[in-house]
Amino acid sequence: MFLQLDHIKKSYGTGDNATLVLKGIDLGLARGEFCVLLGPSGSGKSTLLNIIGGIDSMDSGTITIDGELMNQMKEKQLTRYRRTHLGYVFQSYNLIPNLTVRENIEVGAYLSKDPLPVDELLHVLGLYDHRNKLPNQLSGGQQQRTAIGRAVVKKPDILLCDEPTGALDYTTSKEILKLIETVNQTYKSTVIMVTHNDALKYMADRVISLKDGVITNNYLNENKLPAEELEW
Amino acid sequence: MVMPRKSPLIHRIPRELRSDLGKYLVIFILLTASIGLVSGYLVAAESMITAYNDSFEKYHIEDGNFLLSKKANRSQIRKMEELGIQIYENFYREMPLDNGSTLRFFKDRTQINLPCLMKGRLPEKPGEIAIDRMYADNNHLRVGDQISCSSGTFTVTGLVALSDYSSLFQDNNDMMFDSILFGVSLVTAEEFDSWDPDTLRFSYSWSYNTPPRSEEEENELAEDMMKKINAIVSLESFTPRYTNQAIMFTGDDLGSDRAMMQVLLYIIVLIIAFVFRIIIQDTIQKESAVIGTLRASGYTKMELIRHYMASPVIITLISALIGNLLGYTFLKDFCAGLYYSSYSLPTYVTLWNSSAFFQTTVIPILIIMIICFFSLLGKLSLSPLSFLRKNLQRKKTRKAFPLSPRIPFFSRYHIRVILQNKGNYIMLFFGIIFANFLLIFGLALPSVLDHYQEGIGNNMLSKYQYILQFPMSAVKEDMKLEDLLSLILFYSDVETDVEDAEKFTAYSLSTLGEGRYKKEEISLYGIDKKSKYVPLDVTGDQVYISSSYAEKYKLQPGDTVTLKERYEDKTYHFTVSGIYDYEGSLCLFMSQNKLNDLVDLGSDYFSGYFSNQEIRDIDKKHLSTVIDYESLTKISRQLQKSMGSMMYLVDAFSVLIFIVLIYLMSKIIIEKNAQHISMSKILGYNNKEISRLYITSTTFVVIAFLLISLPLENALLRIIFEMFVMTSISGWIPYWLDPMIYVRMFLLGFGTYLVVALLEYKKIQKISMEEVLKNVE
Repeated sequence: MFLQLDHIKKSYGTGDNATLVLKGIDLGLARGEFCVLLGPSGSGKSTLLNIIGGIDSMDSGTITIDGELMNQMKEKQLTRYRRTHLGYVFQSYNLIPNLTVRENIEVGAYLSKDPLPVDELLHVLGLYDHRNKLPNQLSGGQQQRTAIGRAVVKKPDILLCDEPTGALDYTTSKEILKLIETVNQTYKSTVIMVTHNDALKYMADRVISLKDGVITNNYLNENKLPAEELEW
Repeated sequence: MVMPRKSPLIHRIPRELRSDLGKYLVIFILLTASIGLVSGYLVAAESMITAYNDSFEKYHIEDGNFLLSKKANRSQIRKMEELGIQIYENFYREMPLDNGSTLRFFKDRTQINLPCLMKGRLPEKPGEIAIDRMYADNNHLRVGDQISCSSGTFTVTGLVALSDYSSLFQDNNDMMFDSILFGVSLVTAEEFDSWDPDTLRFSYSWSYNTPPRSEEEENELAEDMMKKINAIVSLESFTPRYTNQAIMFTGDDLGSDRAMMQVLLYIIVLIIAFVFRIIIQDTIQKESAVIGTLRASGYTKMELIRHYMASPVIITLISALIGNLLGYTFLKDFCAGLYYSSYSLPTYVTLWNSSAFFQTTVIPILIIMIICFFSLLGKLSLSPLSFLRKNLQRKKTRKAFPLSPRIPFFSRYHIRVILQNKGNYIMLFFGIIFANFLLIFGLALPSVLDHYQEGIGNNMLSKYQYILQFPMSAVKEDMKLEDLLSLILFYSDVETDVEDAEKFTAYSLSTLGEGRYKKEEISLYGIDKKSKYVPLDVTGDQVYISSSYAEKYKLQPGDTVTLKERYEDKTYHFTVSGIYDYEGSLCLFMSQNKLNDLVDLGSDYFSGYFSNQEIRDIDKKHLSTVIDYESLTKISRQLQKSMGSMMYLVDAFSVLIFIVLIYLMSKIIIEKNAQHISMSKILGYNNKEISRLYITSTTFVVIAFLLISLPLENALLRIIFEMFVMTSISGWIPYWLDPMIYVRMFLLGFGTYLVVALLEYKKIQKISMEEVLKNVE
């Protein structure tokens, strides 16, 4: 497996206040797989995403990415790991307000020795005409596309998306999902997408459901639908 | 070679600076002004010091001088020159001018103590005169003007700096020079030689044939020579160069200002660095999610530290460069002007000063870099997740500070605002302390000097003290008959019919110059046991000291003071019986008999008169000094003159710093609370109510800080002032602050704050209700 998680446990708080949010997660993902992590609020899906992303620590367990064990990495190595392997997309875009669309994407390109051509990506993202605009001159969908551009421009092995459509309307959400699908297919990035939206499981190669820190379901989707055809 | 790629974050910097132009502009102006001023000061000082140091050789400044009561004959000169020195006549005559000042006339010099012509030309014929440039400035005299005295009228042909009078000390024993009421000048040899020799003062300069190699050697050589010369001629005074204040005071003082200016700059830079720190922390708070995303994407801590450090460092760098540019041009001339208003220095050449550049460019940048770096390092050590969650507190506040519900709501709200912004308020407190300290520094000096002058006026021993010009032969151990006769003649000449006059003996001893005190002269007064001028019980061994002596040396009755002869190793010990309220000079009072016995002057000896009436029946040639109000207030007058312009500068600067700090802190506090303000608007609070909530809190804090800071600054300034007077000035000036200064400082501080508060009120009005919706997930 390209990404392998074994017995991941994570708790918050100490003593009597300690809450176990991940109770021993085991899963494996193949390279280029599109995985949707489903679950209600508090199920531990964002925590799991953050642990995979190396921005949160686990109490026990192991993560192996492309044969490399993440547990033994120090802070500097973790930063290098994120720099080399990961792209992040958040619900709240987190664009740099005083950089243009193009410059925001260049912020991601800077991290890679061999980034995607920015202009070409701007065309793919449908942002070429808006490349010189600042984030506050864009719609929510355009801002999220910029955030996706920033994440994928460095050709990450894994694209981590935390509720990427959470703040968007139906039409814009679909546009964003199509884009993530395109990125997955075009650049062969492994995508792990955290969502509340049950309908999104139909576009995934693999669906993982979490509840109370435990995987309740983990299956490969045999009837995968293109994002275009999703309805909710 | 592959060039490292530029971080795209670099594009943010100019936009960031533009978007907050007001904030960065004031910092830039403050830094540029501070750096420019200090750079100008250091460049001017260094150039001046070089010009001053070079003047010793360039203008062939004497190694010392001595004064004789009559002209030395050839044989005496030859004998003296056999001691290994070259002797030069440097006779002078002093005359009071119609403008109330005294001018010392010298013959144009060609061999020693050469003049530096600053403007015009040297006198070429009788009736022409070249006067000291600074004396001319202070008395509004220009080339072409005429000056009048008892010897006639002179036309000023040029302005000069006499190399042996860079500080215009009329007497080497004066506490301070006086460039307003005393000046030096040059006339032609023809004119000078036409004057009655009886009116001349026979001053001789000397230079060593083989210059001494060290200060110690020079000291020993001079002391030995003094004894030998005194055996050849009757010395009235003997002044080796290193003790000549007119030559050396300037050099000592020129260097001393530099350290103060540097410290001032570093304090300002430190304050600015902490302002940057607050701005950075505020920015990190605002951009927390972006930072979290960047860190999650793989940006390293160092990349982000470099990025957030860029603006402060760029601003400091530009300020340093422009400041230095201004320092080397306009401000250097301004600062040189400050020196020229105090000292009669020769012309100078601006010198490139690498040390000044280092101190005003490299060090400020380093200070800003170090403080910003460690501040950022601390902040950015948090995990990317903490940034994404906007959870930047290392320690979680477990409980809100308890406030009784009985406190009115608005008061509780004010307290919460203050607690929430305590970091910024602490910074504001230090800013107020610093700005107010500069202000008190600027305002206090005139107050101290006015009080001193007033005190002297009300507290003189007598309106006039006449010190007789005693022939040296009177104290010779091997007194010959002719010496005795001249002494008897002298005594009969110095009797007066003025009933008010009271005889006293005066003698000078020197302090030991121990610890932080420098060596200085202490006057010993031997007074009549029934003196009406100094009504003290001086029967027996009673010795009193003046209140200024007691204050300066922290002496109390029962303490013992040790003094020594100036040119000998002989020491005297006195036990203080009491303190006499007199601030005019550092002195000891005892009975005339005791003093005469102590220094073996003879029982009938006296050296002058106290009198409240002017004595006119003693020939002026028999008078060495007349101590009156003018001479006692020389020091305060000169300090007012030479530091006056500097004080205005300090005042202006402190007000500027005050405005900048209050503006920045209030701005940051308002910005930090923009969301809360916006939310309050949504809840229905109007602008007035919101301003009350946020500006009133800051107003309370500013008022409290202003009131707390005043006594602190007063105490601090007292320590610094007394230290300065103890170590740098002969004599004593008591520290005293006019209570009105507190009122002025408070009003100035509060007035400045009100202007800033008004600007902030307008800003609060502009904060839209959308603010609360921005960047909120």
